[in-house]
Amino acid sequence: MNTREHFIPGRHRMLRSTLIATAATLALTSATASDLSAQYTGGSDPVHELPLAWNRWLDHEELGERMELMEETWPEFLTFGSLGESYGGRELWVMTINNPATGPEDEKAAMYIEANVHGNEIQGAEVALYTIWYLMENYDEIDNIRQLVDERVFYIVPTVNPDGRDYFLDEAGSGARTGHVPVDSDGDGLVDEDPPNDLNGNGVIEQIRKYVPGEGNVRPSAKDPRIMEPVPPGQTGDWVILGREGIDDDGDGRVNEDPLGGYDPNRNWGSDWQPDYIQGGSMHYPFELPEARAVNAFLMSHDNIAGVQSFHNSGGMILRGPGAAWQGTYPESDIRVYDELGENGERMLPYYDYLVIWRGLYTVHGGFTDWTNDGIGAVSFSNELWNGGQYFNSPLLQEQQEDPDSPISGDASEYFFDDFLEFGDQYVEWAPFDHPEYGAVEMGGWKKFRGRIPPRFMAMELFHRNMAFTLYHADQMPLMTMGETSVESLGGGVSRVRIEITNERLIPTITARAAENKVVRPDLLTLDGDVEIITAGWVTDLYGGDPVERIEQEELDRIIIRNGHPGRTTRTIEYLVRGSGPVTVTYDAEKGGSASATVQVP
Amino acid sequence: MPNRICGHLAAAVAVMALSFPASGHAQASPYLNFEDLSSELNDLADASDVVELRSLGQSHEGRDIWLLEVGDPDGAPLDERPGVLVVANLEGDHLVGSTLALEMVRYLSDNVASSDVSRALQSQVIYIIPRLNPDGAEAMFADVRSGHRRNLRPQDDDNDGRVDEDGPEDLNGDGLITLMRVPDPAGDYTTDPDDPRVMKLADAAVGEAGEYSLHWEGMDDDGDGFINEDGPGGVDLNRNFQHAYPYWEVDAGPFMVSEPASRALMDFVIANENIGAILTFGLSDNLVTPPDSDGELADPVMLAMDGFADAPYEEIFETGMFGNVATFEYYEQRFRGTQPGRDNEPGSGRRPAVTINEDDLEYYSAVSDAYKEITGIEHVPVHREPEGAFFQYGYFQYGVPSFTTPGWGVAEPQTGEDAPEVDGDAAILASLEAAGSQPFISWSAYEHPVLGRVEIGGFRPGANVNPPPAAVAELGRTHGQFLVRLADMLPDVQIAATDVTSHGGGIYTVEATIVNEGYFPTSTRHGVVSESVDPTIVQIGVPPADLVSGDDKTSRVERLEGSGSRDSFLWVIRGEPGQEVQIRVRAQKGGSAVETVRLP
Repeated sequence: MNTREHFIPGRHRMLRSTLIATAATLALTSATASDLSAQYTGGSDPVHELPLAWNRWLDHEELGERMELMEETWPEFLTFGSLGESYGGRELWVMTINNPATGPEDEKAAMYIEANVHGNEIQGAEVALYTIWYLMENYDEIDNIRQLVDERVFYIVPTVNPDGRDYFLDEAGSGARTGHVPVDSDGDGLVDEDPPNDLNGNGVIEQIRKYVPGEGNVRPSAKDPRIMEPVPPGQTGDWVILGREGIDDDGDGRVNEDPLGGYDPNRNWGSDWQPDYIQGGSMHYPFELPEARAVNAFLMSHDNIAGVQSFHNSGGMILRGPGAAWQGTYPESDIRVYDELGENGERMLPYYDYLVIWRGLYTVHGGFTDWTNDGIGAVSFSNELWNGGQYFNSPLLQEQQEDPDSPISGDASEYFFDDFLEFGDQYVEWAPFDHPEYGAVEMGGWKKFRGRIPPRFMAMELFHRNMAFTLYHADQMPLMTMGETSVESLGGGVSRVRIEITNERLIPTITARAAENKVVRPDLLTLDGDVEIITAGWVTDLYGGDPVERIEQEELDRIIIRNGHPGRTTRTIEYLVRGSGPVTVTYDAEKGGSASATVQVP
Repeated sequence: MPNRICGHLAAAVAVMALSFPASGHAQASPYLNFEDLSSELNDLADASDVVELRSLGQSHEGRDIWLLEVGDPDGAPLDERPGVLVVANLEGDHLVGSTLALEMVRYLSDNVASSDVSRALQSQVIYIIPRLNPDGAEAMFADVRSGHRRNLRPQDDDNDGRVDEDGPEDLNGDGLITLMRVPDPAGDYTTDPDDPRVMKLADAAVGEAGEYSLHWEGMDDDGDGFINEDGPGGVDLNRNFQHAYPYWEVDAGPFMVSEPASRALMDFVIANENIGAILTFGLSDNLVTPPDSDGELADPVMLAMDGFADAPYEEIFETGMFGNVATFEYYEQRFRGTQPGRDNEPGSGRRPAVTINEDDLEYYSAVSDAYKEITGIEHVPVHREPEGAFFQYGYFQYGVPSFTTPGWGVAEPQTGEDAPEVDGDAAILASLEAAGSQPFISWSAYEHPVLGRVEIGGFRPGANVNPPPAAVAELGRTHGQFLVRLADMLPDVQIAATDVTSHGGGIYTVEATIVNEGYFPTSTRHGVVSESVDPTIVQIGVPPADLVSGDDKTSRVERLEGSGSRDSFLWVIRGEPGQEVQIRVRAQKGGSAVETVRLP
């Protein structure tokens, strides 16, 4: 354990904090922006203001250090802060991206991006970090990026499970999906008392196999003896797999039955939450976990959040809710929005499918994106960031994988990739071990990075493509503008005022589900001026017989629009007013900003 | 402190208004504001060795949520004993609940010398949370009182961007918020011929015409066309828990367990897994009328007139919902109804239980019988449908026998041929008056500045959920007795017998028999089904390598019935003469025990 200087929110405040730090992190974190800039001496490509490497996995402290560096580099746009603390006392870092010159944060639609709710699903944090970096480096280089940063706000939280992340990266990391709130997994009144153990001290939790001639149920594969395959029915093998490396720590006769934590932090959210026997790992009530509670407090206090993106890591999917079939389907108008975003996402993300969670993945009750869709009213996606097809990513190779005799088909493909492209880095050979309970055994198998996390050399493409999808999503958040205005005097001191109101982008100011659930403040259409409003209505037909849908509300100077303004739509409001002078009409949407127009009534 | 005096005076005035002693006895009201309740609880804790008082947290307005732990400090640590949890006054207007909770504590400390009380306090622990909603309860002592059920979280009830902007007003200055009936040929309501004070829905099919519309007393403060649609508060704490939670309903909170008080309660029960039974005082009932043979609760009975006054609010959320009024749409609408790739089966998922498991019904009936026998309560005047209620969480997710009662009763309505045909609010009114309450404020004329000539009157706030003060002392005593009976029913697991046999060569058979001396099983059947109650563990204290055969080193019993039910275990072990072997039993809801045997 080292006591180290440790960053906390607020640019110039420092806090002493005790963290476990590896030698590797110590070596890297001494670099500063100026050191790195010195590497760049010319050439035609723009020089990065903050040259960061994107080919290694960062633990929680390193993430914080890089965010601090970014804030120092781009202080005009970036505010580095924290949503709160994890169970283990780690800050839930958040970076706010806002250009104050184009308006305060809460008056612009915001995109919330988070990752790593499952501790082992680490690479989303780097996508999040890359997103901040890319937006800032290219603000002055690419017009579309400048416009996006000027129009929108981003809240970016690289890891919402820093305890699990650090356990995965800095320790043996087996079973890092959970958070670290202690749970009695085996019902004996004790918590987390029998985890896996790194018995041989090599930093890897391996598999244990035992040689039991004629009594086993697995055998080494003829294709590659490293593969342990089940024996065919009716035969016996010489080996049994005894599970993960560990001992019976609490002497109850079971091995590894009560590990660290033991729940699913992505089942502790407030929509369709179900008790543990229906949804394993949900804990006792929604937002019981300190991390979920802190994130939700942030979401509920930022009404401008219109888009949400969460990053997971396995399968290659662009997922949306509902998480369970019994929740029914989303309203049709919401599905249209999701489909357009998701289908374009499929075009941006090769190997990814756009899927409904319960139908395409599996049933999830109380998941994060269900809550942000149903309870926050934000259009929400969850991406599964790595697809096994990407290991052999050409049609030719994938055709070859169909051939059972090919060295890249079936389980053998994993060994081939590791042997030839990672130089065997991810595999631990079986080796004898004298186990205190099992006697003579062998231990070996894959290391933790294998399978769900991209090889480092393939990571940056994953970061960029997924970022591009979230930026597209952010760009399609509602954006309210006022269009043409007209004033027509009808005589007798009465005038007809018409104003076009437009939402330029795909997503409505209030989704149909948010309107049903009453979780977003209605849009407000207000009129300020020294006039009396006789009637107000929506213009439905500029040329036909029933020109206006009358608005039957008591306060016509403060019209409530509960289901918001649809995407890519212009509506025209008409007021009949008595009086004269300037009249200002303002459309205010929590998730779409506000827009005003002023007309002169004669 | 001047505030303190003011508070007392206001409380005294309010309680006199609430006081409805039929006999006219001069007596202190049993209904206590926060300060008086706190002082009573402190006095009880100070005077007793078996009562500890602490705060579980604070309400929105900063009032403590008190917890009393009652148990004899000699003996096993309190949190290792089987426990009963009592929670009261979740609904702000249900003041009698907190008084009964207070009187239970008093009963236990006053009777600590009696054998049944001392047995309970030596082998069990009783947790009492007398007032989960102190802010809502305090509103019942304000200068102007409505039947304030929710807490005081500031909340935009009508989702119009303004918070708590249109509460009721005491127009006629009687200190009470009641109803306004407005003569209105378009209204839906008429007087009930059974009792003309009571309003009923006019039934056009039998020739009745509506004569009145009904509203809560007050003005349309924000000018939105609705009267009193967004008053102070809040969240109904007994609709804020996880079973059958009424999602997105305005008084249920933004999400389950959203409130400081509900969270404090949840964190307490999670941390105290020794709680083996729950009793709440609230506005539903499963004690006077236990679940039926299908495991379902009786249909609710509520004041219809309150519902009539709430009915106009249903239109709020229709106002401002607009159809397709676009003058131009920029893109062609598309709809993709199916997904490519995988396609899982819909509807195959397991659903949570919503009825009491049939194996648990007998226990509910037995507890109900005991409750009625001890308290004499045979009928409750009103009770509501539990949705998100804490007692439902207690059974359906925490897995223990869990009960609720309004805590008082009225005479059972007559049935049979001679019985008067009175139903609805008229029947409730009659039963309340027969019980000695003065539950109704007669209609009196009032010139409303907007609505014109109206009449103000209706049920007195709180009168349909609280008994007349004179009845409370006896109810406190009998509920104390019932609590002791309930504690006595908790599972109580012991090691009944052990035996050792030597087979020579260092091989021994060790046998143990456990027994549940309590009445309840170690888990409800639903506790097993929902995996919310740990199996009872029976463990032999030898290294796993010394186990030769027999039962698992750590054996698990899902559910051991009570009333002396037994289960036996046998291990064949390797050991040495003279070696001591420990046998341990742990029942999450039934205590733990250890026996040591010596190998011969």
